[in-house]
Amino acid sequence: MAMPSALRAWRAARVTPLGELHTPPRMTAALLRLTVQVVLVASLWRGLYAATGTTAGLDREQAVTYAVLAVLATRVRELDQYSGRDTVLQHMHFGTIVYWYLRPLPPQRYYALRALGEQIYGFAWAIVGYAVCVAAGVVQPPKSAAVAGVFMVSLLLGQWVLYYIMLAIDQLCFFTLRNGAAMLILIFAQNLLSGVYAPLWFFPDWFITLSSFLPFQATLSVPLSLHVGRIQLSDAGTQLAIQAAWVVVLALLTRLVWRRAALRVISQGG
Amino acid sequence: MSGSIEVRGLSRTFHTTVRRPGFLGAVRSLVNPERVAKHAVTDISFEVQPGELLALLGPNGAGKSTTIKMLTGILTPTAGEARVVGTVPYEERERNARNIGAVFGQRTQLWWDLPVRESFAILRDIYDVPADEHASRLREFDDLLDLSSFWDTRVRHLSLGQRVRSDLAAALLHDPPVVFLDEPTIGMDVVVKEQVREFLRYQVEERGRTVLLTTHDMTEVERLAERVVLINHGRLVLDGTLDEIRRKFGSTWQVRATLADGHAPVEPWPGVVLVRRDGPQVVFGPDGPAAPTVHQALKQVIERYEVTDIALDEAELEDVMRAAYVQAGDMAADMAGDVAGDVAAQAPARTQGG
Amino acid sequence: MSSQKSWSTPLFSLKPWRTVWRITKLNFRSQLEYRSEFLMMIAIGAIWQVSVIVFATVLLTRFTGMGGWESADVLLIAAIRMLAHGLFVLFLGRVHGLSRHIQEGVIDTYLVRPMPVYRQLQLQYFPTNAIGDLTVAVGLMVGALTRSELDWTAGRITYLIICVLGGMLLEAALFTVVACASLRFPAADYWGRWLEELLGTFGSYPLNVLPKAVGGFLTFALPLAFVAYFPAAVLTGHGHDTGVPYWLAAASPLLGAVAYLGTRLLWKWSLRHYTGVNG
Repeated sequence: MAMPSALRAWRAARVTPLGELHTPPRMTAALLRLTVQVVLVASLWRGLYAATGTTAGLDREQAVTYAVLAVLATRVRELDQYSGRDTVLQHMHFGTIVYWYLRPLPPQRYYALRALGEQIYGFAWAIVGYAVCVAAGVVQPPKSAAVAGVFMVSLLLGQWVLYYIMLAIDQLCFFTLRNGAAMLILIFAQNLLSGVYAPLWFFPDWFITLSSFLPFQATLSVPLSLHVGRIQLSDAGTQLAIQAAWVVVLALLTRLVWRRAALRVISQGG
Repeated sequence: MSGSIEVRGLSRTFHTTVRRPGFLGAVRSLVNPERVAKHAVTDISFEVQPGELLALLGPNGAGKSTTIKMLTGILTPTAGEARVVGTVPYEERERNARNIGAVFGQRTQLWWDLPVRESFAILRDIYDVPADEHASRLREFDDLLDLSSFWDTRVRHLSLGQRVRSDLAAALLHDPPVVFLDEPTIGMDVVVKEQVREFLRYQVEERGRTVLLTTHDMTEVERLAERVVLINHGRLVLDGTLDEIRRKFGSTWQVRATLADGHAPVEPWPGVVLVRRDGPQVVFGPDGPAAPTVHQALKQVIERYEVTDIALDEAELEDVMRAAYVQAGDMAADMAGDVAGDVAAQAPARTQGG
Repeated sequence: MSSQKSWSTPLFSLKPWRTVWRITKLNFRSQLEYRSEFLMMIAIGAIWQVSVIVFATVLLTRFTGMGGWESADVLLIAAIRMLAHGLFVLFLGRVHGLSRHIQEGVIDTYLVRPMPVYRQLQLQYFPTNAIGDLTVAVGLMVGALTRSELDWTAGRITYLIICVLGGMLLEAALFTVVACASLRFPAADYWGRWLEELLGTFGSYPLNVLPKAVGGFLTFALPLAFVAYFPAAVLTGHGHDTGVPYWLAAASPLLGAVAYLGTRLLWKWSLRHYTGVNG
């Protein structure tokens, strides 16, 4: 069984990359968008820092590195997910969600495999982008090997937390969300609270306190702050522990919701 | 291995919120929703033998889709029991999933962005089908459905006929003994319809699959189904062969004869009425519940009169079904009693064609 | 497409607008139908409001005097942009995200109805989230005006209102172009989402903090500078150092109107060349 199930995983995981490869214009578009976005974001932060030295504990280079890394990181899940008609929102809309429950593969495992493939595919993009940005001097590499190592671990945990957050948003579609606009707003809020648009360090204290009780900063703010050195290595252990705790909490929560979602489908008939 | 379906006393009630009319009503519903029970399926029992094709018929909103959903495990019944190849579908959904294939009308289970063949490959892995078995089955399906002409095309670019053929193949790739098809040929052209029927006939006769089919296409029923189950307002009104249905609801035959003597007197006899006479041309029809079958009537006409030419018109199955749906509606209402009948008459929207 | 002709009633006829109003009321009521979703949209609106205000204040307090602008003046850019955006979402926002609906074949349905397709599109559903957007925008505008040290004469206020409307039309024009593209290319939706992101991210700053080439890109290639930056520059006396001639910056609202009318013509043309989806 080990061999077939590995193969099984591989097929479901490669749906997204394969769909992209079959649509070269989409890849060109992604490349163009990523390039323009990096250039714009780097120049914006340089421009903002023109009249300021260090603010919120971040100097110009740190801020630019953070902002560019954030753009690269969003690439990991910023795919044209709707074009594949395989989002929960669309399956609920078209009534094709029934097929998820008609297969011997549990929906939660199928979803996880799809997301894994998507994240690995996006990660390949991000790594290439990272290499180019470091070579071009837009992004400062980590100060030491230790920082790099901690950053990698934290990034991995962050992606894991992000997976659960995106899953939770998708799970909402089983119960209430029928509206794509609401999805966009939720994703915006999630991005803002993760520190994608601006490092959380810039925000007022009450906001930082609030977000420390939420899982969002664990996705991006923590790993990127480790990378630019805004979180010191000495504090890294605590931060990694908090990230890991969020993984556990969200895993339990989303698992519960999957069960409720199945009940919902089974009581309404999809 | 072949499968069979057993359904006993199956019922499903939906609870929906009643919307009050008007703007204030909408606001009141928001604050204090009023819930109402709707009986989509009530006390249905039937059986399908291994290797049999059964057509589940009934007007829109009769409860056909709800029944199929319960048998595929997507919906839990409120009462009663169902078994598919010995498995209770809604209790052991995954085990049941390996035994069944399903196509829900125009809803596709294929991956929109990928070529059809990739979808097949994903399903192969999901169902753990060995590679050689998969390849040979795909060849077999290709012979019958002509899939290879478009299976490298992405699903989003397929025509409806191509997509439904692909979906049929996708549902049968794991060799399920039982297949559920909810209006599979809806909206397809005659050529594709015939191809799909041929495919289904082959699957039943050569592969011994059990098929439960819902459709509104009577030609399809005539060509494929030996047995039909008729439901209306969520209740089973008839379970029998097509002939039985014709006998029960299709009493609209006509016998047309040309008499040798154009002036001979013509009298009706018990059970038969003279519909029309125009010189030597006479047309007889059935009269009342004691009417003979069309074949008996034919014999009687020849015995009574000297005829030079005789022909018979049997009612089209579509006419029979129209009569059946109307009468069966009344029968179902009678069975349910007045109060329940009123509620059932407004079966919830989600069972309609869904 | 001959169906379009039958509605070519004079512009002043009230009948079509009465229909629009009636459908909008129905749409609003249908939003109330899904109870939990309606309540959730309000909750989401609240999250959105808080986040946008926090975001705006962050940049203002951290980077005072960016590009030589007072923070109250920068706030005015953000307020114009938000208000224009809120009005866009309320009145014309349904052009965004059109591609998915096209794939479902709705355009084909719209084409056989005796009402302009564009209007039917706008009447698809009631944008409950626009209520949230507008609430924030109005709050932000009030904040910007109270903190502003400018003398708000009747002329200035009139110009401000015209600018907000112009910004709305320009944003609508941009999304209408994307909608035209999505009549032919389903992937255009992707560009629509990027456009929204760019407008959100770069629409609220004084663009002179950016390098000239980048600023030029956001002025001439993707004209988002005309939505809020140029009007605010003209209002606050920065009109001469925007990098474009003063008259061009001042004509921003006119440009928005012209662009919108132009894209409506483009839409008509695209619709005539619409070939349907999936055969």
